Amino acid sequence: MAANRATAPAFDSSELKELKEKLMTACHILDHEGVTDGYGHVSVRVPGVEAFITIANVSPGYVTPDRLIMQDFDGNYLGGAKTPPNEWPIHACILKARRDVESVAHTHSKWSTIFSVLPIKLKPMHHYGKFLSADGPPVYQGIGLVRTVERGNELAASLGDGPVVLMRAHGDAVVGASIEQVIERTTRLAMLGEWNHLALLHGEPKYLTAEELEVYNADQRFPMRGWEYYVSRLKG
Amino acid sequence: MDSINSNVPAFDSIQLKELKQKLIDGCHILDREGITDGYGHVSVRIRGTDAFLTLAGVSPGRATLDRLVLLDFDGRYLGGEKSPPYEWPIHACIMRSRPDVMSVCHTHSKWSSLFSVLKGGLRPVHMYARFLPPKGPPIYPEVGLIGTVERGEALAKALKDSAAVLMRAHGDAVVGASLEEAILRTIRLAFIGELAHMAVAHGEPHYLTEDELAVFSADPAFPARPWEYYLSRAHERRSP
Repeated sequence: MAANRATAPAFDSSELKELKEKLMTACHILDHEGVTDGYGHVSVRVPGVEAFITIANVSPGYVTPDRLIMQDFDGNYLGGAKTPPNEWPIHACILKARRDVESVAHTHSKWSTIFSVLPIKLKPMHHYGKFLSADGPPVYQGIGLVRTVERGNELAASLGDGPVVLMRAHGDAVVGASIEQVIERTTRLAMLGEWNHLALLHGEPKYLTAEELEVYNADQRFPMRGWEYYVSRLKG
Repeated sequence: MDSINSNVPAFDSIQLKELKQKLIDGCHILDREGITDGYGHVSVRIRGTDAFLTLAGVSPGRATLDRLVLLDFDGRYLGGEKSPPYEWPIHACIMRSRPDVMSVCHTHSKWSSLFSVLKGGLRPVHMYARFLPPKGPPIYPEVGLIGTVERGEALAKALKDSAAVLMRAHGDAVVGASLEEAILRTIRLAFIGELAHMAVAHGEPHYLTEDELAVFSADPAFPARPWEYYLSRAHERRSP
């Protein structure tokens, strides 16, 4: 936990090197796992300041060190490539509203999108969904890309204190206490969406209750296993 | 109790070499076939003892010789990497209650997970399911990872004398008289799950009856054939 300070470290400083590499790996994972397509982005908070690093208007699968950007929560440019993503307020407004969040992923995941337009919720029916509430993630109903702070604040309000918000006819925003956690949640949300879709073709599945989710949440966790596995798949 | 395990070969002994390699091959096959993801494990009993080899806290697709662990049925460490899987009781409790079982696979297979939360049961729609009962495998209804012997015993009880048990909101455990058989059944269970899912989308399929399953079971089996096939696919991937 870095101390609060007035200014962000220089974009090219060695201090940010590891974070930038992890951010790129995260983007490559979402691309490799088929969760993102030409669009979508991942961000990470710069420790101790009101700033974040994200990808500079490039497809997650194509990101390279020279296509990252650092911005503050008002969208001011702090370093890197000079092409902020259209939807930077997704990251700025969520990171501002949620002190506990270190990283945000925004995707157009097929499975989030489908449940964003159905009357039925994407609810946990497998313990991979234990980070969700029993009644599933909320749906942000606003239409249009989240290009303004006003829309970003609305989205953050829909997210509330949860891990995920689905965005109607658009996709999702997923948050976590680390990049690794966000990637695990984003890939699992997609898996769970697919499994819910399959199950619902048979009728109503037996969902996990709030108490049952607590049982799984009380079990030992393996915070790095999923990350390691997905990184190994990038290498083929 | 201790006497039987005085026969357990040392983890690094030449006697276990072939078994360890087969265990790793089995894990790589399940990963290659898309059945396991970051999680899941396979175990193999050390013949004539109350001990087994399994993965030491590593994804099946990343298993290597130095990431295996040897445990006894009480979960005591007997050798290898010192990070037993959290759910070791799946293997210990099933092997203890089923002397016929030489190998156990635990996966979060999509198809097993799906049928574990549905009412209909994963019923045989193809001869590949001849190891299943006509009503499909039993379902272990409890929640929580199998981190205790108590939960392991409850799972073994749900499995009873079947070849597979679905675990609600979790996945499956599949057993065999050899590692090859457990792996093959795990792959086929996923295949049957997918087929049954697709068939049910059209209405009620014509399932195989008990008598019909017995006809297929009476026909000769070719256990070495699919193992060779799946191993070749896993090897292809290893050295592209």
